[in-house]
Amino acid sequence: MQSGRRRSIALGAVAGVFCWCGDAARAEDASSWRDIETKYVFGFTTGSGIGLEGEKEFTVESIGRFGKRDGHYAASETKYEFEFTPSQFIQIEFGALGSTHNIGGVTGLDDRSQVALGGAFAEIRYLAIERTSNNPLAVTLAVEPTVRRIDETSGERVRNFEFETVINADLELIRNRLFAGFNLLYEPEVTQTAIGDTQREAKFGASAALSIRIASNVVIGGEVWYLRHYDAANLSAFSGDAVMLGPTLYVQFTPKMFMTAAWNTQVWGREIGNPVALNLAEFQRNRAKLKFAYEF
Amino acid sequence: MFAVPMMRQLTLACAIAMVPLAPSHAQQATEVQVSYSKGQFQPSELSAPADKPVTIRVRNLDAKAMEFESKSLRVEKVVAANSEGVINVRALKPGRYEFYDDFNEKARGALTVQ
Repeated sequence: MQSGRRRSIALGAVAGVFCWCGDAARAEDASSWRDIETKYVFGFTTGSGIGLEGEKEFTVESIGRFGKRDGHYAASETKYEFEFTPSQFIQIEFGALGSTHNIGGVTGLDDRSQVALGGAFAEIRYLAIERTSNNPLAVTLAVEPTVRRIDETSGERVRNFEFETVINADLELIRNRLFAGFNLLYEPEVTQTAIGDTQREAKFGASAALSIRIASNVVIGGEVWYLRHYDAANLSAFSGDAVMLGPTLYVQFTPKMFMTAAWNTQVWGREIGNPVALNLAEFQRNRAKLKFAYEF
Repeated sequence: MFAVPMMRQLTLACAIAMVPLAPSHAQQATEVQVSYSKGQFQPSELSAPADKPVTIRVRNLDAKAMEFESKSLRVEKVVAANSEGVINVRALKPGRYEFYDDFNEKARGALTVQ
């Protein structure tokens, strides 16, 4: 009942955002606006942008995950990230991870309240297809190896290695104004627990997002993610999937400073071998993203 | 047993995919010049041939610094007062590439490549 209500609220919010977008788009003339970087305008979906040659950026990005089947569950991972663009085709990012876990009464997870240095990551992005005034499509390939000492879900001490590979694509549907974003994700990982067990798993997924620039410095939109979880790195042991949906926001405060935010709610999911609504074993009920960036 | 070789294969595959395919500046670049005076680009419309690297020489004649920036060209460069900046751009496909002074909302121009 509560789950259905949440789904209705999420769907209503996204529908409302798109109606408002349509009205706003008709009301304003965007011909005088500068070009916009698309990397961060789609929420959890990442756009194709790689920045400008010579540009450096410091960002703080927090992703919060909330809600399991029972008890209370709140976890976050924050990236303290430096990114730079050494050429007109490559972007490099690296940084440290901080994590928090506040878990109580969740079946299968120990109660925990902790803040920890979670690990480190690096990312390299290559712009494979560039957008021009004659070609609205841009595509970037990205890989992100990550090492963690704290398990993302449980907060336990582990040794975890993850290798995220993503295709980020976006389309400029209306010049400087309306954009569609698409991601294709494959994320294998291996985890060694404190008692010496080794677990291999993978996430595979795709997303679609639509974002509209309603003012020269504000972009709003919505996105949908379909995620599949496997108990093997080679996608051979499917264990469940989920659909997440929600609104996105991007605000450019100054030419050198911006923020982006997104909220996703699980609207559909299934756990293999467990006939319940939603997949709350491998995914969360809600997730939120908040990012602040300063270019220099 | 399985994950480590797979990780290696994945890393190698991605590394190969990431090898920059951008044309180098070994090819003769076309030079275009633009001045920046009284908060405006002069000329504000530039042109260059397609599929050849471009060197943009920006002469800032004003008494304060400006930043030549373009999202579509994917370059930015601060040019100090009364000085000159050189920006090297990859070989470009036909199209219109807008640029501006990041310190001055009104100063804008475009490079047309054909």
